[in-house]
Amino acid sequence: MADNISRTENSGLVSLLAVFADLAPAADAIDKLRALGLSDDHMNVISGVPVTEAMLGRPSQWTNVPRLAAGGAVLGFLGGAFLAFVTPYIYPYPIQVSTQAFIPGPPTVVVLFELTMLGMLLSTFLGVFLDSYFPNYRPMEYVKEVSDGKIAVFFMCPEESKDKFTKAMTALGAEKVEVAEVEHL
Amino acid sequence: MSDNNHKAEHSHEEHLREKHLMVDPLPRGKMNEMVMEAMTEPPTWKFWLIFGILAFVVVYFLFYKWGILIMKGQGEAGVMRPDYWGIFLVNTVFWIGISHAGTFISAILRVFKAEFRRPFTRAAELMTTFGLVQAGFSIFMHMGRVWLAYWLMPYPNQRMLWPNLHSPLTWDLLAITTYLLSSTMYLFLPLIPDMAMARDRSTGWRKTFYKTLALGFRGTEGEWTHLRNAMNIFAFAIIPVMFSVHTIVSWDFAAATRPGWSSTIFGPYFIVGALHSGMGAAVIVIAVVRGTMKNMKYFIRPEHFDAIGKLMLIISMAWAYFFFNDYMVQWYGGDKWTQQLLHFHEGGPMGWMWFSMLVCNVVVPWAILWNPKWRSTPWLVGTVGIIINVGMWFERYIIVPISVTINRMPFTWRLYKPGIEVPMGIGTLAFFILLYMAASKLIPLIPVWEVEEGQMAHEFKKFGRETVVSVSELE
Repeated sequence: MADNISRTENSGLVSLLAVFADLAPAADAIDKLRALGLSDDHMNVISGVPVTEAMLGRPSQWTNVPRLAAGGAVLGFLGGAFLAFVTPYIYPYPIQVSTQAFIPGPPTVVVLFELTMLGMLLSTFLGVFLDSYFPNYRPMEYVKEVSDGKIAVFFMCPEESKDKFTKAMTALGAEKVEVAEVEHL
Repeated sequence: MSDNNHKAEHSHEEHLREKHLMVDPLPRGKMNEMVMEAMTEPPTWKFWLIFGILAFVVVYFLFYKWGILIMKGQGEAGVMRPDYWGIFLVNTVFWIGISHAGTFISAILRVFKAEFRRPFTRAAELMTTFGLVQAGFSIFMHMGRVWLAYWLMPYPNQRMLWPNLHSPLTWDLLAITTYLLSSTMYLFLPLIPDMAMARDRSTGWRKTFYKTLALGFRGTEGEWTHLRNAMNIFAFAIIPVMFSVHTIVSWDFAAATRPGWSSTIFGPYFIVGALHSGMGAAVIVIAVVRGTMKNMKYFIRPEHFDAIGKLMLIISMAWAYFFFNDYMVQWYGGDKWTQQLLHFHEGGPMGWMWFSMLVCNVVVPWAILWNPKWRSTPWLVGTVGIIINVGMWFERYIIVPISVTINRMPFTWRLYKPGIEVPMGIGTLAFFILLYMAASKLIPLIPVWEVEEGQMAHEFKKFGRETVVSVSELE
C-alpha cells in the first residue's frame, strides 16, 4: 500500500519528496512519475486539505470504515436485542408494566434504535483509528509545509535515477525536491 | 469594455470579496497563523478576571452547593408535592436543547452542503459537548442520590434486577449517552487535521498536547479517505440520533397522562424548541468569539449572522406553529383540568412568564430578523439569541414545574418555589462558559482545512455582465 512506503525497506531505492504549491502541477507530477516508470504503489500524496483521488488521477483508496460501521451497527442491534428480548426473562421474577405486553413493541424499537446507532458510530470512529493506524507516534516521512497548504508527493525511485526524477519534478514546478526525511511528528 | 465598466466590475468583485469569506482567500499558512495567534496569544487581565469569577461560581454554586444537597438531601431544593420536577429538569431540557445546535449546524448543514457553515462548525460542535455535560450534571442533581446513578446502567444489580426498559427514563439514559458519545466523536474527527496543523506550529507543552491529539496525522490520501468516509457516516447518522434525544426527552412528559403534558406533538415541538434555543446560543457564541478573539473578524463575517438569522427566523416560525397547535388542541379538548392549567399559565401568578415567553420566542425574533441589515449586525443578532434563550428557558419552566402545579387533585396544588437549584443552575451556566473559555485557548475554534476546502470550491463566474459567486462540488 502507498501509505506504507515509509515503513518499507527497499534496497537500492531512495525516497524523494517533491513539494508543490498547487494541485494541477502535483497531478502533472504524478503523471510524469508514471511516465518515468513508477507505479502508483510507489507514490503517496500528502496534503493539508482532502484532495480526492479523481483530482490527482490516483487510484481509489480502499477504506474499511463503511464496512466497520455496518458491522458495528449489527453488533449494536444485537446488544439492543439482548436488552429488549433477553433481559426480561433473566429477572428472578417477571415484571409486568400496566397492560403492556411483556416484551412491548414501541419501547423495544427505541432500545434497538439507540444501540444500533451507538454501535455504528462507535465502530465508525474506531474504523478511522484502525484504517489509519492511529495513534501512530513513530517517526514518519513528513514535511510541515503540507499543513500550510502545500502538496507533497512522496515517491521511491532507483538511487541512480535520483537526479533524473529531481529534474523532472523541478521542471513541473516543484518548489523543492529532496530526500524524504523521517521525523518525529 | 470601457474603463468605467471595468472599474465598476472590479469594485463589485471587491464588494463580494469583502462580504463572502469563501471568495476572499488568504494563503493557508496565513490562515493557520491567524488561528494559532488567536488561540495562543496571552490572555488579558480581563480574561483572567472573568475566568476567575466563573471558576469561583462553579466551585461555590455548582460543586459546594451540590455537596450541601447531597449531605442534607432533596429538601434543600424547592421540590415538594406536587412539584417533584423543578429547575433541575428545566435545566436538563434546556441544556439538551442547547446541544442540538452543534449537530444542526455541523451535520444537517454539512449534508445539505450549506457553505456558510464552514467557519463556525467547530464552535457549534463544542457547544453540543459542553451543553451535554451540563445536562448530565443537571439530571444527576435531580437524581438526589447521585452515587447510585450506576443503577441505570444496563447490567444486573445485587438483586439480579435489570433496568426496566419500559421506562422513558431508561430511554433517556440510552439516548443521551449515545448522543454525548457520538457528538464528542463527531467533534474530534474533523479536529484531527487542525490538531496536526497546531502540532506543526507549537513548542513546549502545547506541542506535546497537540501531538498527542493529532494521533500522528500527516494528511495522506488514505487518512483523508478514512476521515471523509467517517465524517459522511457521522453527518447522516447523527441527525436521527439528535432527533431521537429530544423526542425521548419529550416523552418523559408526554408519556404521562397529565394535563398539559399528554400530547402527540410534544416530540417535534421539543425538537423545534431545542433548535430555537440552540441556534440562539450558537449565535451568541459566534458573536462573542468574533468580538473578543484576535483575527476572528476575517473568518466570521456579517454574512454568517445573516444566514443564521434567517434560520433563526424560520425556526421561530416553526416553534410558534407547534406552540399554537399544542395550545389549540388542548384548549379545544375542553378537559376540565387542562382548562384550569391553561388559565393558570396565562392568568396565574406566573402569567408574566407565559407572556414573556411569547415575546422572547416570537415577537422579538420576528420584529428584528426579517430585516437583512439588522440580522447582519452581529451584536443585534447575538442579543436576539440571548432573548430567545431566556424565552426558551421560560418555556421549559412553564412545561415542567408550572404545569405540574395543576393536577387532578386540587388539594395538592402548590406554587413551586425553587431553593438551592437556582445557584446550582447558575453554576452550570458558569461551567459551560468556563469550559468554552478554556477551549478557546486550547482548540483551534476555526476548522482551517474546512475553510480552505470551501475557498477552493468557490470562484467568480460571469453571467452576461454580472459577476456572481459560484461554487463547485469537489467531492
